Amino acid sequence: MPKAVQYKANSIVYFQGDINENVYILKTGKVGLRYSDIETGQEINDLIQTGEFFGVKSALGKYPREETAIVLQDSAMLVFTVPEFEQVCLNNTRIIMKMLRIFSNQLRRIHKQVRNLISSGEQLNPETGLFRIGEYYNNRGNFKQAMYAFRRYLTYYPTGKYANEATENLQRAEGKVQAGAGRSPSSSSAPASGREMSDIAKSYYNAVSLFSQQKLPEALKEFQKIINESDSAEYSAKSHFEIGRCFFALNDFDRCIQHYTAMIQKYPKHPDLVEALFFVGNCYEKKKDMAKAGSFYSKILSMAQDDTPVYRKAKRALDGLKGE
Amino acid sequence: MAFNLAMFERFAVTFQQDDIIFCEYEPGDTFYLIQSGRVQIVKIMGDIEKTIDILQPGEIFGEMAILEEAPRSATAIAADQVKALEFNRQNFEVLMQGNPQIAFKLLKLFTKRIYDQKRRFMILTLNDVQARVADVFLMLSETQPTAGSETDELSFETSVDDIAHWAGMSPDKCRQVLNHFVTQRRVEIFKDRIVVKNINDFARFVSSRRNKQRGA
Repeated sequence: MPKAVQYKANSIVYFQGDINENVYILKTGKVGLRYSDIETGQEINDLIQTGEFFGVKSALGKYPREETAIVLQDSAMLVFTVPEFEQVCLNNTRIIMKMLRIFSNQLRRIHKQVRNLISSGEQLNPETGLFRIGEYYNNRGNFKQAMYAFRRYLTYYPTGKYANEATENLQRAEGKVQAGAGRSPSSSSAPASGREMSDIAKSYYNAVSLFSQQKLPEALKEFQKIINESDSAEYSAKSHFEIGRCFFALNDFDRCIQHYTAMIQKYPKHPDLVEALFFVGNCYEKKKDMAKAGSFYSKILSMAQDDTPVYRKAKRALDGLKGE
Repeated sequence: MAFNLAMFERFAVTFQQDDIIFCEYEPGDTFYLIQSGRVQIVKIMGDIEKTIDILQPGEIFGEMAILEEAPRSATAIAADQVKALEFNRQNFEVLMQGNPQIAFKLLKLFTKRIYDQKRRFMILTLNDVQARVADVFLMLSETQPTAGSETDELSFETSVDDIAHWAGMSPDKCRQVLNHFVTQRRVEIFKDRIVVKNINDFARFVSSRRNKQRGA
């Protein structure tokens, strides 16, 4: 059972460097955390809000306290051991979610700080970075790895500045793998043979590239062909999504809605499900059916994390509807 | 692992040996819990593929993707045939409800990663190259289970390249610093390990340089 503890103003809950595995929650009063910034060594003071946990990181990670917790006003708090804290979390997963969010932000920030120090300005953007990785494995003769990186590159940047090079390298690497020991490039999602797999991938990227050149009817035909002729679940699902985009780009909103409705029924776990819903909402908006558009946008807000692009898009669209 | 994972079977994915599971720089929206096989985490730095970690069954990777979609910070390659459970933001809720233990395990993992990165940052902010190399040994000693105050001499099964990587300097520069330590008899270099004669001496050295740098 967690213990209720009272602290007088100006007392210390723990010192920086202390090793102890307690987690605290502030019930009433005022507690400050004092620590030095790892970059400048400057002293920083943070205030704990009532109802907030503190001492979590060092307790869970079993490392020395990184800050000193000072009681600024008479305070009451609950003290948990790690197993007690774990129990609380397991019974209330919202706490875990909230902390995961905080910790992942902290981690991202410190990661970036470290990277800045190491690469001293020579930061690659993701597009170039991904292509370079393909090149690295390609040059070393690790064609399977190279193929993976080039395929990914072409998926994310079908019209990127290295797209031509990536396509050429990919085809060459595929040729090498097939000519090699006959080892098929394995895929985690489709039990297809090496030859067939790469053909499907090629047609898919070809169709994506047609789409990006605004050759919509041609792209539509290609995606349809992939669905009809291949037994690759991965590329079929991807093509389904792209077909909806084609209809949308062709201003054929009824067919777009129809298509995505069918897709969602067929693939209730489609990775681009939320994006598809957004297109449907958008179609209704174009058709001036604002009520339906609104309900789709609202649905997206209830499904997507609030820091994702699709969430923001839906939010903006919904605000737009309300503004009218 | 004591978790009941049977209900997560539908999230299972299999990778063949040498398959890339995900690649540095690609947007990430999935994370994995290894069920069998090992996963190698690598980063390409200049012309070298650097192994950062080798993960075992029961370990989690790709976890940065859970809450924010940002480029992967390293590449994950299947070192054996690997069976893993694949989660994303959509089914993370299911995981939370069905098995909050895994989520709690993630929380613990995050605290460790934050600490490691902070520690790394501390090393890299030292201007003095000798102090930086010495601090790498201190960091390694902190994570060695045998670390204690009873012995001053510590042996590290690590290479000059590894030390250079952590210290953020070229292997040549690092070797130069280490050789200097050798002539001072503070360090001995063997083929498979590096011995620090007095880790407490390194601790004092690093701490004085850090304080001096901060004008304390």
